[in-house]
Amino acid sequence: MEGNRIGVYICWCGTNIAKTVDVEKVAEEMKLLDGVVVSKSYHYMCSDPGQEMIVNDIKEHQLKRIVVAACSPRIHELTFRKALENAGLNPYMFQMANIREQVSWVHSDREFATQKAIQLVRGAIHRVRLHEPLEKRSVEVDPATLVVGGGISGITAALTIANAGKKVYLIEKSDKLGGHIANIDLLFPNLQQASHVIQSKIEKIREHPNIEVFLESEIEKIYGFIGNFETNLNHGIDKKLKFGNIVIATGMKPFVPDVVQSYGYGKLPNVITSLEFEKMLMEGSIKTKAGFEPKHIAIIHCVGSRNSKTNDYCSRSCCSTALKYIHQINSALPEANVFDIYADMRSFGKGCEELYTTASKNNVAFLMFDQENELPIIQASKSDKESNLVIEFKEILSGDMIMVPADLVVLMVGMEAQENAKLTSQIFGISVDKNRFYMEKHPKLDPVATTTEGVYVVGACQSPKGVIDCVSQARAASARVLASIAQKTVEIEVTTSTVTEEVCCGCQTCISVCPYKAISFLEDKSVSFVNEVLCKGCGTCTSACPTGAIHSKHFSYKQILSQIIGILSNN
Amino acid sequence: MSYEPKIISFLCNWCSYTGADLAGSSRFKYAHNVRIIRILCSGRVEPTFVLESFRKGVDGVLICGCHPGDCHYHEGNYKCLRRYELLQKYIQQMGIDEKRLSLKWISASEGKQFAELINDFTETIQMLGPANYQEKLAYV
Repeated sequence: MEGNRIGVYICWCGTNIAKTVDVEKVAEEMKLLDGVVVSKSYHYMCSDPGQEMIVNDIKEHQLKRIVVAACSPRIHELTFRKALENAGLNPYMFQMANIREQVSWVHSDREFATQKAIQLVRGAIHRVRLHEPLEKRSVEVDPATLVVGGGISGITAALTIANAGKKVYLIEKSDKLGGHIANIDLLFPNLQQASHVIQSKIEKIREHPNIEVFLESEIEKIYGFIGNFETNLNHGIDKKLKFGNIVIATGMKPFVPDVVQSYGYGKLPNVITSLEFEKMLMEGSIKTKAGFEPKHIAIIHCVGSRNSKTNDYCSRSCCSTALKYIHQINSALPEANVFDIYADMRSFGKGCEELYTTASKNNVAFLMFDQENELPIIQASKSDKESNLVIEFKEILSGDMIMVPADLVVLMVGMEAQENAKLTSQIFGISVDKNRFYMEKHPKLDPVATTTEGVYVVGACQSPKGVIDCVSQARAASARVLASIAQKTVEIEVTTSTVTEEVCCGCQTCISVCPYKAISFLEDKSVSFVNEVLCKGCGTCTSACPTGAIHSKHFSYKQILSQIIGILSNN
Repeated sequence: MSYEPKIISFLCNWCSYTGADLAGSSRFKYAHNVRIIRILCSGRVEPTFVLESFRKGVDGVLICGCHPGDCHYHEGNYKCLRRYELLQKYIQQMGIDEKRLSLKWISASEGKQFAELINDFTETIQMLGPANYQEKLAYV
C-alpha cells in the first residue's frame, strides 16, 4: 500500500460549501478509507496557505495521491495539479470532487448534501488509487489573435496586441468600426469628445501593419483549442484563419423602452431615448419634435434596469451619463429647467461623484421615484400654454404625488445582451449567465478569462459597463493573450489514447470513428497506432474498440469504473 | 421514508459538465439524487459503464453531451447517439426498463435546462421505483 498513501482535503469555500455540507464530517468519514493517511477540511483550499498545506503534507507524510473536494475542476484542477508538482508529485496523481457547483450550491438539505458529498469524495478516492503518472505535452502557440467585435473594447484589445508586434484579425459584423461609442458626444466623467477617443484609434487600426480587419463578417464555427484555433471566414471568398487566442468583444444592445407602457415611448414624440438625445447633442441642437428649444427637460433613470418586469440588474453607466447631460443642457440652454427623476443615484467611480456634485449646482431638481413599484406616468399635457408633456409620480423623499412639466423627456435606457449572445457562446464554447451576458472564469481571480482556455471576454458583452471599464478589460485581456504568446508553447492535456498492440485484433474500427485522423494502421504488425500529437483524447476510439486494446489515459475503463464503485459503495 | 433513487450521470467535459457548473453558479436547485461522473466526451461512454452501473445497484443512468453540431471533438456525440440506440435495445433484452437510461444534450449555457432535466429524470426514476438489477446482471 506504499504507493497508495492518499491525502484528502475538503474545502469550506468560506461558507459556500460549509453552510450546506458538514465538511468536518466528510473529512472524518474519509479517514476510514483504505490508503487515506491524511484527511482534513480547510477554509479555502485554493488559497496560498491551503496549497501550502497540501505541499507540506505530501513531504511530511510521503503522500503519493491527493484528492481535493472543492469547487468545479474546471476552475481549480490546474491550481492543485501545480501544488502537486511543487511538492515533487506527478500532477496527474490528483482527483477533484466537485462539492460546490454539484452539491452545496444546488441542494439545500444539509443531510442529503453531506451524504452526496461523502459519496462523491469516496468516488474520487477510489479513482485516484488507479491514477498513473503522465508526462506533460506542449504545443506551439500560434502568435495571431482573433478579436471579435469592433467597438471600443475590441479596438483597444486589437491595438494593444498589435502594438506588441503580434498579428490580429479583427472581425466586425457591421460595415464600420467604432460600435456604440461612435454615436456618443461626450464621455463622462471628464466630458471629453468621444470621437477624439475612438477616431484616432480607428485611424491607427486602418494603418496598422499587424491588423487585418474584416467588416460585415461573422464567425460561424471555431475549431481547435488554445494555441491552435482556426475558423473559415465567409468573406466574399472563403478564407481560413489560424490563431492561438480569441478575445470576444461583441458588445451590448440598448434596451428598447416601448415595453414600459407608462412612459409612452413610440407614442409621445417628445419622449426619446438617451441614444436619440446623444444624436441631438452631436448635432449641436436640442429641440423638440416641433423644432422649439425646450424650456423643461426631464431625465428618467433606470429605464429597463433594476426592475423585475424588465431587467433586474443595474446598467452601471446611465446615472453618470445623465449627470453628463445635466452639464451639457446647462451649457447649451442655460435657461432650461432640468428635472432629474432617479431611483438611486449611482455615480460611482473616479470623478463621477464629483460630476454629481457639480451637476447639482446647475438649474436642476433631483426627484426620487420608486423604481420597482411606482414608475412615473408620462402623458400629453391638457393645457396649451404649459409644456406638451406632464410626468406624474410619487416623489419618495417628500412622499408627495407631484406633476412635472416637460417639453422633452430623455429615457436613460440600460444595456442588454446581444440577441444572438447564446448562439455566439455556443460557437466559442463559453457560458452565458441568466441575462445572457458571457460568463467570466472567476469574477475576482480571473475576470476576463472564460472556462475555455484561450478565450477571453471583454466589454459590455460580459456585463453592462461604461467606456472606462471596457478599456480596462480590453487591456487586461491583451496582457493575458500576450503572456500566452510570449510563452511560445502551451501545455495541453496529456490524456490521449494508446493501443496495446498485443490485444489489438486489427479490425480498424477505431480508425473509422476518430475525428482527427490520428489513428493509422501498421500493415506490418496488423495493429492500429495512435499519433499522440494529433489525438485530442476524446476517447471515442476507446469505447468503440471491441477487444479493449485502446486505453484512454486518465479516463481509463478501470478508473471510471472505480469511481462508479466508490460512489455506490459504503466504504 | 420516501424512496430516494440512485442515479449516475455521465457528463462530457466541454458542454454538459460546464452546463452543470452553470446550474451551480446560478444556484438553480435540483434533486440531490444524481452523482455526476466527468468524461471528456460523450463518445467515451462505454456500454459497460452503463451496464456496470445497473449491476452495482443504480436505478437510473443519464448521459449528457453537447448538442448535435457542437461537439468539442466534432462528432463524438453522434457516436454516442448511435451506441445509445443499440444499448437501449440491448438493455430491454436484459429486462431493464428503457426509461432508466436516457441521453440528452446540454450545452455550456443551459444551466437551467440541466437543473430541470435532473428533476424530470429523477421523477421518472422515482415513479419506476427501485431497479434491483444486481441479480439479473450478475452473470453478464
